[in-house]
Amino acid sequence: MTSLHPAEATRLLVEVPERGGSVVVSTVVGDNQFTGNRIALIVIENEKPELRGSLILESGTDSAIQLMKDILENPHSSDGLHKLTVADQSLEIYIEIRRPVQELVVVGAGHIAQPLAHLGALLGFQVTVIDDRPEFATQERFPSADKVIRADFSDPFRDTPLHTRSHVLLVTRGHKYDYACLIRALQMDPPPAYIGMIGSRRRVRATYVQLLEEGIAHALLDRIHAPVGLDIGAETPEEIAVAVAAELIMVRRGGTGVSLKGVERIVERFFKEDK
Amino acid sequence: MTHDDDRSLTQALEAAREAGRRCALATIVSTKGSTPRKVGARMIVDPDTGLVGTVGGGCGEAEVIEAAYRVIETGKAQRVNVDLTDDLVSWSPAVCGGVMDIFVEPVSPERS
Repeated sequence: MTSLHPAEATRLLVEVPERGGSVVVSTVVGDNQFTGNRIALIVIENEKPELRGSLILESGTDSAIQLMKDILENPHSSDGLHKLTVADQSLEIYIEIRRPVQELVVVGAGHIAQPLAHLGALLGFQVTVIDDRPEFATQERFPSADKVIRADFSDPFRDTPLHTRSHVLLVTRGHKYDYACLIRALQMDPPPAYIGMIGSRRRVRATYVQLLEEGIAHALLDRIHAPVGLDIGAETPEEIAVAVAAELIMVRRGGTGVSLKGVERIVERFFKEDK
Repeated sequence: MTHDDDRSLTQALEAAREAGRRCALATIVSTKGSTPRKVGARMIVDPDTGLVGTVGGGCGEAEVIEAAYRVIETGKAQRVNVDLTDDLVSWSPAVCGGVMDIFVEPVSPERS
């Protein structure tokens, strides 16, 4: 086996996550005879793990693979440098990891959905837009969406199976459609990563009353992000989309949603005025 | 690195390979302190078409581009240490206050 070409390695970083798999690429970056050598480990559910390329001599490959497997198993691991000891030689390798692409499913193809689909794509989501109106569910209206699907809201996810990587946003033109889709998303087990529903306080309260009456467990209500988005005073569809996108980042990265100025308080901490 | 970054890098690397051009790939492999871009950020230096991606811009990036040209010429990978701690009040572009360790490697057009 020979080393993996950089173009092939980056292609794997793109394509494997799109197929719902994970990929780890190791590159020797220390200064030695193996510098620039690459190997990739591809792990796709229900398929045999696959190796591409080679890193170092045969004797070191096993320990490299073990290191890549360990990194893959740790949910907090990210790109970075690692040391690998092979036959008393310490090798510096750079490891990249890509996990299955996260999906954003926008239900409703109206005026908020358009900037949302754009921002979702910008944030690296694979974006699907669903609406029951053929004149709204068009690729032309959503150039950055990966899929635009026409589906009845009675069975909106028929062609878009939800899973733990799905982020569902309910922004249909009517409360009753949002509700029909919400109840389906809520009953998913395991649940999607995020369920957001647009609506005023009143509308959200009415929805929750209806859910409880229909026997939905109280604990499930907490899964819903509604009203949707962070409180930044958003009014226009574009502003609302930014507020929602910010919330998606917060869920992904675990932030607080508070202005960093207020978190850091640099003036108060370091520049107190003498009285 | 976002999925889109990965995608545009792949396209640029494949275009260079198909055209038979040698280029250089720069990757931030570690950082200390505050830096404009984080570990994993990448830039391709293609003598014919220019830059794809960024490792943070400014003087630091200029150093990397210089190294990339050396790497393309010699065919030998290199590590570049970019120090952005210079002078916090000088208003130079290098005021982020951190250090970046960047791996710059040649990308040959041949199938490996």
